[in-house]
Amino acid sequence: MRIIVIGAGKVGYTLAEHLTQEEHDVTVIDKNDDVIERCSGSLDVICIKGNGANAKVLLEAGVEKANIVIASTESDESNMLACLIAKRLGAQYTIARIRDPEFNESQTLLQNELGIDVAINPERATALEISRLLRYPFAGSIESFARGLVEMVEFRAQEKDAIVGIPMKDLASKVPHLPRILYAMVERNNSVIIPDGNFAILPGDKVFVSGDMVTITEFFRFLGRYSQKIRSVMLLGGGRISYYLSRLIVPMGIHVTLFELDSQKARRLSELLPRVDVIYGDGTDQDLLQEQGLSQVDAFVSLSNRDEENLMTALYASRSGVQKTIAKNSRMAYMDVLNDLGLDSVISPQVITSSTILRYVRARENSNGTHIERLYRLIDGNAEAIEFVARKGDPYIGIPLKDLNTRKGSLVSVIVHQGKIIIPFGKDHIEEGDHVIIVSRNLGISDLNEVLYR
Amino acid sequence: MNRKLIVRVLGAILAIEGLAMIPSFLISLYFRDGDTAALGYSILITIAVGAAMYLIPKSDKKSYLRLKEGFIIVALGWILMSAFGAIPYMLSGMFTHFDSAFFESVSGFTTTGASVFEGFENYMHGVVFWRATTHWIGGMGVLVLTLALLPKLTGRTAHLVKAESPGPSLSKLVPKTGQTAKILYRIYILLTLLEFIALLFCGLSPYDAAVHAFATAGTGGFSNYGSSVAAFDSVPVDIVITVFMFMFGINFALYYKFLIGERFKAFWRDEEFRTYFFIAVSFTLAITLFNLPYYESFFTSLRYSSFQLSSIISTTGFVTADYSRWPVASQFLIILAMFIGSCAGSTAGGIKVIRVKMLMKLSRRNVLAAGRPKKVDVIRIDKKAVDENIVSQVAQFAVMYIALVLIGGFLISLEGKYDIITNLTASLTCVSNVGPGFGSVGPVDNFVGYGVWGKSVLSLLMLFGRLELLPMFILFTRSAWHKY
Repeated sequence: MRIIVIGAGKVGYTLAEHLTQEEHDVTVIDKNDDVIERCSGSLDVICIKGNGANAKVLLEAGVEKANIVIASTESDESNMLACLIAKRLGAQYTIARIRDPEFNESQTLLQNELGIDVAINPERATALEISRLLRYPFAGSIESFARGLVEMVEFRAQEKDAIVGIPMKDLASKVPHLPRILYAMVERNNSVIIPDGNFAILPGDKVFVSGDMVTITEFFRFLGRYSQKIRSVMLLGGGRISYYLSRLIVPMGIHVTLFELDSQKARRLSELLPRVDVIYGDGTDQDLLQEQGLSQVDAFVSLSNRDEENLMTALYASRSGVQKTIAKNSRMAYMDVLNDLGLDSVISPQVITSSTILRYVRARENSNGTHIERLYRLIDGNAEAIEFVARKGDPYIGIPLKDLNTRKGSLVSVIVHQGKIIIPFGKDHIEEGDHVIIVSRNLGISDLNEVLYR
Repeated sequence: MNRKLIVRVLGAILAIEGLAMIPSFLISLYFRDGDTAALGYSILITIAVGAAMYLIPKSDKKSYLRLKEGFIIVALGWILMSAFGAIPYMLSGMFTHFDSAFFESVSGFTTTGASVFEGFENYMHGVVFWRATTHWIGGMGVLVLTLALLPKLTGRTAHLVKAESPGPSLSKLVPKTGQTAKILYRIYILLTLLEFIALLFCGLSPYDAAVHAFATAGTGGFSNYGSSVAAFDSVPVDIVITVFMFMFGINFALYYKFLIGERFKAFWRDEEFRTYFFIAVSFTLAITLFNLPYYESFFTSLRYSSFQLSSIISTTGFVTADYSRWPVASQFLIILAMFIGSCAGSTAGGIKVIRVKMLMKLSRRNVLAAGRPKKVDVIRIDKKAVDENIVSQVAQFAVMYIALVLIGGFLISLEGKYDIITNLTASLTCVSNVGPGFGSVGPVDNFVGYGVWGKSVLSLLMLFGRLELLPMFILFTRSAWHKY
């Protein structure tokens, strides 16, 4: 597809990178010479210097033939304007990053009037993700499928876990009372493994399991990982993510302590969030943290603008005995290093945003085949979990899985049949309308027929 | 340094070169004049070495191709390709010394067309066809061809195309580099085919038409006749080749724009094309007028002058008239044309019209700034401001180019042969990839008089010129061979 990305900042660059990996024709527009230089050197795209809200620049980028225009500049207004102009000039589909909470309130109106097909708020999406992690603190990350019926949860295997070192096919016989869940994927030494019967989990592996939340909770209780519900959280940094996150978790009965370095910002946050303890001070100051009761809180989330501060403070918090720490990190290259450090929950807003956008792109690409309901990029974008709805008339329908060929590196992880979860075995089959969740090391799958065939 | 990746890409280049020898092999089967075995063995050797280099190193797919490595691949690729391209000349007995065979091969790939072969008619057809094929491959570039055929060879392919394509900056036609390379080759094939058909209509045999179409397309200049295009002595052939030499000096991006619907506006809107057109037309008219006393009529003068100017400015080097006997003013314009060359993004050599245009604007700015230093002045091409970085790179390029011509002239003079004019124009014609020079390397002579040293220096100069200096200069820096 022909895709124009306006603004190659963190989100724009990550997006352009993934889109070119999926063989799309990408044109990048940016105002900054250095950004253009970087993109044209390292990505297989055409770069155009200019303002994406300028019709002339958009025409030079071939907007009239573009399938998708994605506006991801720093400025909401520019993004909205760019989408409006692009749509008028003939772009089929527009996606805008809109982050200001003020605009969120009139979002539907704006979208309809401006011809924006999808508006994405990276901070809100990130806050949602964090709130789910706080609800299930044993997980490194959680992705939900089939309207929350199925979850895929990531955790790190430890030496004392009962499942370690036993081949998959012997798990049921050797470990009594182990709840039945699916081991969908394992990351070991930065490579992705789809486990088969002879595979055994080793300590240090990052394991993705899927099933319904009740079974998964039982599974973690069995491993002795299940912990108390989180009742108090410390947030470092008073940015937009902290704001959205507080709005989400305060009603859940979680007490929030928020650190902000800027006095005016702190005052404003206190006005907006009456039930939050806003502390005016440096959240990286260890004395201040201890003074405010760091070792008593259940979770610590660092969301400042500086990656290093976030990571170091999260490490410190975890040393001080906080059971759940979450750190924001925007630099992809650090991810591998962080795994070694033992920080499990590291989230990156641009990965969340770009995978949300990629899902729309993938769905547009394939409007005639099976429909993509959800798509998550896992393990730093090296693997994907995709939810499809099985369509009438597809060749795999009604045929037991053992009689079908499955693409190498892919696995049918869960089938949701009429609201019931099936962990599939060879004799199970897919029926029309079923939700099918695939995990795969092959990126860019856009149709269930690519995975299952006769 | 990522040695495995470099070896792999070089292997791919050699394998493709081996495949490109197959048409010459088939032609030798048809004519049967004694070079079939030589070409057959050359194909086997080149493909075997290429395939081994491509398949043996197990390189990490994710390995990162650095800009420096891109330059090294391009420079080594061209040297290696020229060396293997000389194998058919050696095996067939066309040359007995490798330095001559290598010179001829470099001259072919760099589309110079300077020869050390004392040609005679109806020489072994297969080998002579291979010589023309090297022009065709070298014209658009072998890495561009490699990427058109194997777009997934490495990541960051733009680094490779950037190092090989002529011009101050790379302009992609479509977002994917591999796709851009394919489009360029399609246009290239189409234009070559058009010229081939036009030459057939002029009454040339298919073999002659193909050899001359290849040599024109790459703006090379090897003919299968000792007296070059003058051998046909035909007005229609002269006209067709004059027009096509000019056309292969135009930026191929403009043909793409022409084909996707901008039609002739694509050309007139382009400042570089307008300048190229203006230079070509004004030089032709001037030379025609200067040459009037030398030829019997205006039209005869126009015929030879336009052919020769088009041949020199597009850096092809075909010959229909001995311009070294022309009035000295005409000769001077010919030398100027050798410096200027044609458009960026074409198959031609020289400094390139776009750079000359920028240099003129830069000089104008410097003069004006002397009187009014506070005035902010931006250099524009096509009504768009040019990045100051590129402006200064262009100025440095011009200085290095002229320095290289002078140093090259001095180095070949060390051999003690010929005179200043001969050695200086030999150096210039090789750096600009034209072919003929003046004096003892004039349009009716060739380079056979130089010894091993002279031929080696000139071979290097041709490679420097074709790759626009930097990739070759980098090979001579110590940091290129550092691991980090």
